[in-house]
Amino acid sequence: MSYAGILIHWKSIVEIIVLWIVIYRTLLFFEGTRAIQVIRGIALVLVAFFIFQKLGLERLDWLFKNFFATSIIALLVIFHPEIRQALARLGQRNLFVNSMDEEEIDLMLKEIIKSVEDLAGYKIGALIAIEKNDSLSGYIESGIRIDAKLSSELIQAIFTPNNPLHDGALIVQRGRIMGAGALFPLAQRPDINRIFGTRHRAALGLSEESDAVIIVVSEERQDISLVYQGKLYNNLNYEDLFLKIKGIIKIRK
Amino acid sequence: MNKNRISIFYRITHIFTYHPWLKLISLILAVIVWLYIKEEMLLG
Repeated sequence: MSYAGILIHWKSIVEIIVLWIVIYRTLLFFEGTRAIQVIRGIALVLVAFFIFQKLGLERLDWLFKNFFATSIIALLVIFHPEIRQALARLGQRNLFVNSMDEEEIDLMLKEIIKSVEDLAGYKIGALIAIEKNDSLSGYIESGIRIDAKLSSELIQAIFTPNNPLHDGALIVQRGRIMGAGALFPLAQRPDINRIFGTRHRAALGLSEESDAVIIVVSEERQDISLVYQGKLYNNLNYEDLFLKIKGIIKIRK
Repeated sequence: MNKNRISIFYRITHIFTYHPWLKLISLILAVIVWLYIKEEMLLG
């Protein structure tokens, strides 16, 4: 192969890799929002469009070309809130997360899990958000800034009923308790099971807007749920909870 | 040192285990988009 030939191939590979990263990151951004279903639909239409073109089916090719071009504008209008959320997340990237080593992550998770275990036992509800890559600083401002060393005792003290900070969420940033009494947006999805209350809706709402790992302790059922990227995992035992959270926060995506 | 080795191993396995289907679909779409653009550029 000539030098020019290698250069052309090299350029093509780079172009495909760049396209791959852009498409993957776009899909990842919308994962957990209702827009992901529409994006999957668009992807299917694109594949079908490509096949029609390859087979030389001109009428179908024409139909897809015209239909697709106009429907893009409609989709932009319908999914305006999701697109806005995804773009807002672009500006929330935090450069300092994961400066914690594995030992510090283990220690932080042990303290958090010990506290949720005790809170569930006492039938006390709790909402704890652990920051990953997207900054939660904006949400800290909606509550009370703390900046304290994380400990199981302090978490339990914060969620003790009648405490001024118990109503709201606790935010953990870089292994420290940075805020309490924080307010999160409530998820508006109709598919949320009615057994879940406002606390779970708030956790899902935050998970749709950021990549935070959220733990919810239900005071009625005494169960512990993990919420991440719009998905709710409930009935987890403490070991599963530990391993699942560790797996999520250990690596930048 | 040992911790770093685990971390690198974890990172490599993570590439294949974190949203593998999303990665595969993205790659297929990237190739389709690239081929489409190439054809469109050749046509005019």
